[in-house]
Amino acid sequence: MIDRIPSGFHPFVIPFLIGMAFVLLYCFGAMIRVLYELSWQDRKKFFLSLLNPKILLKDIKDIFLNCLIHVPLWKRNKLFGYMHSSIAFGWFMIILLGHIEVLLFVPGRINLFYYPIFFNYFVAEDDVTLRGSLLFFLMDFFLLMIMSGIALAMARRVKNYMFGVKRMARPTFLNVVGLYSLWAIFPLRWLAESFTAHISGGSFLTIPANWLFRQFLGNELYMLPTWWAYSIALCVFMCVLPFTRYMHIPAEMLLIPMRNAGLKVRSSRKGFARVEFFSCPNCGVCIDACPMTVDNGNVKDCTVYLTRQLRRGNEERIQEISDKCLLCGKCEALCQVGVEGPGLRILERARRDYTVPFNYPAADKSVDKNHKVLYFAGCMTHLTPSIGRNITELLRKANIDFTWLDQQGGLCCGRPMFTAGRIAEAKAIVANMEKLILESGCDTLLVSCPICYKMFREQYNLPGVEIVNYIPFINNLINTGRIKVEKSDICYVYHDPCELGRGCGMYDEPRKLLGRSAGIAEAQQNREESICCGGSLGSLSLDFAQRENMTKAALDNLYTSNADAIATACPLCQATFARYADRPVKDIAEIVNQQVI
Amino acid sequence: MIDFGFTLSKSSTVDLNKVDRSRYDQLVKLVPTARMCMNCGSCGATCTVSEYKGMSVRKVLTGIQRGEDVRPMLSSCMLCGKCTMVCPRGINTRNLVLTLCKIYD
Amino acid sequence: MKENVVIIGGGVAGLEAAKNLHRLGYQTFLVEKNKKLGGHVATWHKLFPDMASTKAIIKEMVEDIKDVTVFLDTQVKTIESAHGGYQIAFSNGVNVHAKAVLVASGFELFEAAKKEEYGYGIYDHVITNADLEAWMNGNKDKRIPASPKAIGFVHCVGSRDLKAGNSQCSKVCCMTAIKQAIEMKERFPNAEVYCFYMDLRLFGKKYEDFYINAQRDFGIHFVRGRVSEVSETIDGHLQVKAEDTLIGRPLKVQLDMLVLMAGMVANNQIKPIVEQAKLEIDSDGFLKSSDNITHIIESGRDGIFYAGACTGTKTVPETVAEARAAALAIHDYISGL
Repeated sequence: MIDRIPSGFHPFVIPFLIGMAFVLLYCFGAMIRVLYELSWQDRKKFFLSLLNPKILLKDIKDIFLNCLIHVPLWKRNKLFGYMHSSIAFGWFMIILLGHIEVLLFVPGRINLFYYPIFFNYFVAEDDVTLRGSLLFFLMDFFLLMIMSGIALAMARRVKNYMFGVKRMARPTFLNVVGLYSLWAIFPLRWLAESFTAHISGGSFLTIPANWLFRQFLGNELYMLPTWWAYSIALCVFMCVLPFTRYMHIPAEMLLIPMRNAGLKVRSSRKGFARVEFFSCPNCGVCIDACPMTVDNGNVKDCTVYLTRQLRRGNEERIQEISDKCLLCGKCEALCQVGVEGPGLRILERARRDYTVPFNYPAADKSVDKNHKVLYFAGCMTHLTPSIGRNITELLRKANIDFTWLDQQGGLCCGRPMFTAGRIAEAKAIVANMEKLILESGCDTLLVSCPICYKMFREQYNLPGVEIVNYIPFINNLINTGRIKVEKSDICYVYHDPCELGRGCGMYDEPRKLLGRSAGIAEAQQNREESICCGGSLGSLSLDFAQRENMTKAALDNLYTSNADAIATACPLCQATFARYADRPVKDIAEIVNQQVI
Repeated sequence: MIDFGFTLSKSSTVDLNKVDRSRYDQLVKLVPTARMCMNCGSCGATCTVSEYKGMSVRKVLTGIQRGEDVRPMLSSCMLCGKCTMVCPRGINTRNLVLTLCKIYD
Repeated sequence: MKENVVIIGGGVAGLEAAKNLHRLGYQTFLVEKNKKLGGHVATWHKLFPDMASTKAIIKEMVEDIKDVTVFLDTQVKTIESAHGGYQIAFSNGVNVHAKAVLVASGFELFEAAKKEEYGYGIYDHVITNADLEAWMNGNKDKRIPASPKAIGFVHCVGSRDLKAGNSQCSKVCCMTAIKQAIEMKERFPNAEVYCFYMDLRLFGKKYEDFYINAQRDFGIHFVRGRVSEVSETIDGHLQVKAEDTLIGRPLKVQLDMLVLMAGMVANNQIKPIVEQAKLEIDSDGFLKSSDNITHIIESGRDGIFYAGACTGTKTVPETVAEARAAALAIHDYISGL
């Protein structure tokens, strides 16, 4: 392999250089901006993490697995995963192999960083070696892999359902430009390398093409124009990249180390959040995941549109999108890059100005003191009294020394205020509740509502008090033999409430408890893919009438199990489902209590 | 001022011709379900804070249509959502409260 | 004997129409899904405003149709349009070709357990209006204390409630609540009786007189506020929460028993008939009449007529009048008038 062009330069590399310079400068600038926007503690945390070999290794592993191999996409749908990893990993390998070729054959040119990209133009094959053939074979192999990925991407435009994703976000004009230039890059590279293959050499893809083209195209007239076209396609792609969804490629490479450093979103617009919403690849998984998009409604209120509007700074739409969301968390659970749809929205709500301040209505509540277990039912449970009644009956049967924290109601955990974005106001509620609970002298706070439970877990500081959800608590009562249950022959399908499942990661305990007292069937979509009942307090702007179809869609999913009845572990899910369900809807506490022997 | 031994009371009549309903008009544009209240009182009955602060969405809605200052009630709302659950007319009471908290000047 | 006519439903509407159609000379088939005739009315104790015994009323109505073919414990399996009429197959194996069909399928009582916040089926002393009537008819009910000191009536349970899927007013419950409140006060003169209402809708003849009696002669308390939730105190009393909307303050009261005035809702059991005969369902879930003013008994389908609460909430006198009107309309239809 020898240099063919003595100067090592040709004007056709200029477009590539322009594009490359632009995208590098832009990304560098964006990174500086993000780092500047971080609080100094976060910035310190981030830099320190890069010095920690353990975290650094994890960063590299995560970037490799997520950005190149797209492991989460493979888990979702193999075809979808292959399409992405073929392009990303293939492209990466082509660049890597290009550098190896330069290092091996013309090491003097390694400082020209366009050389690995246009290697085949600048060299001539003087000698066939095994090494060279192997490299050429690999180059053609990965090029073929990329092109197969692009062929799939084209097919996806027509037959979306093959990829396990039903709907995509509507592409913007620049996204279309980016898409077509990306699609053009690799076939053009193949053409350019093919037209040059009789000089530079090639492999199974380029040599036959070279032979074929020579049969009817004859001369080298097409060689330069194709290299120009290849370079221009690269230029166009890189110049539009910062303004398209393809920005997720560089952004995700920053997102992963920042997340591994333990950074959290603190504002919906700046710093880590900015990296997050630039990392959204617009794949559309969140559209299918979103319970609001039933019958193709509210599609433009999904997280993919939130990230888009946050990038654009369209205030009116941002407000609309953040207020509508049910905060069920399914988009986040299924998101390939981990965009925190609900978290960003809560922070967005926190930006609103209120002219009427919150004046905490500190209630003159007192609690019966010195019982070991303090039971908190929560506001909603007072509208589904069967839950509180069954739980307290179970506690009595198990001889647990307990008292109610809120038998007559009047106490809120603060979660609704928190999700409405009034964080300081929620903290005032929390502070009063903490005082009340600590004064009671209890050692266990038993919570039956998963909405409250999540709040207690995440926002309360209760030293010496164990916060426990009733499901594991009752499981424990059975484990320790304080109550015994027998199995009924009724078959229930368990609905994972958003706040208990995705919110607190509790999927197995409820199934275990339910399985001890009844038969269990599973719905088509369950666990982290469970569909929100539609009753969520997370949404501020969805009206009752707009939620009906969502509830019915969630029920249809539960009906796929053919169970006799529905079991859940949230008062809000129970009340919401009961409105439209064609079969009984019961809380697990009630089912267990009926089966105590 | 001469002390006559009595004071003149201001009229407590709500004059519907004069009362300023602009805030209500603004509200129902943003929260259309606010028009549907039939004053059943479910919201005030179930309210987590009504016992202490007299909060009732029904009173808030009627109040702003009669020119009353409803801010003390609004400021006590914890947004717990029980009123939204029990409202027989499906009024989005939480959005109503949040919206009023924003548009009061 | 003239043509066959089938009446679906053996409540007061079906009974009254059967009597009239039979008198007009039609071969009448009355099909009732239960084992007894009389529908919901037969389960009641006394009817306002005359406080007439339902036993006597139903007994007389049943006697009037002794020559009519009655299929009890029977349902319509299939109904299809055929030869200018309808071919109907009953679950008892009988097939009838009818020139005209009268749907008198009535209503269902709202399932009070669906309003879980009222605690029906959860607390020991919460019953419905129907349970109370059954008790007054002599059925035992341990949910009703031997000598209650405080009794509550909750109006509009499942009625005027979009959340329960019923926007309509059930029409008769205000009056029923007052009637039952008076009856309870007569049985337990020392008890305090409370009626929780949203609006008192007492539109019928002598209804207002009942209201006046309840206030003047029986001292029944009327509270303007919809009950939002019911809880149980440690000593087993029911605690009811409402807002007294007239003074604008939350209100609570401890009661020994609570009666839920479950409203009339559309009868979903006739869905198969509705589908097969291609009838229309109105936005309130009841059957849709040709219009709601002068053609309420007409379905819009040739040969199918409606009477009673299948088209909406009705009082007994309204139902009886509609049944007679429907009989005459069927006669006109078959006579080609």
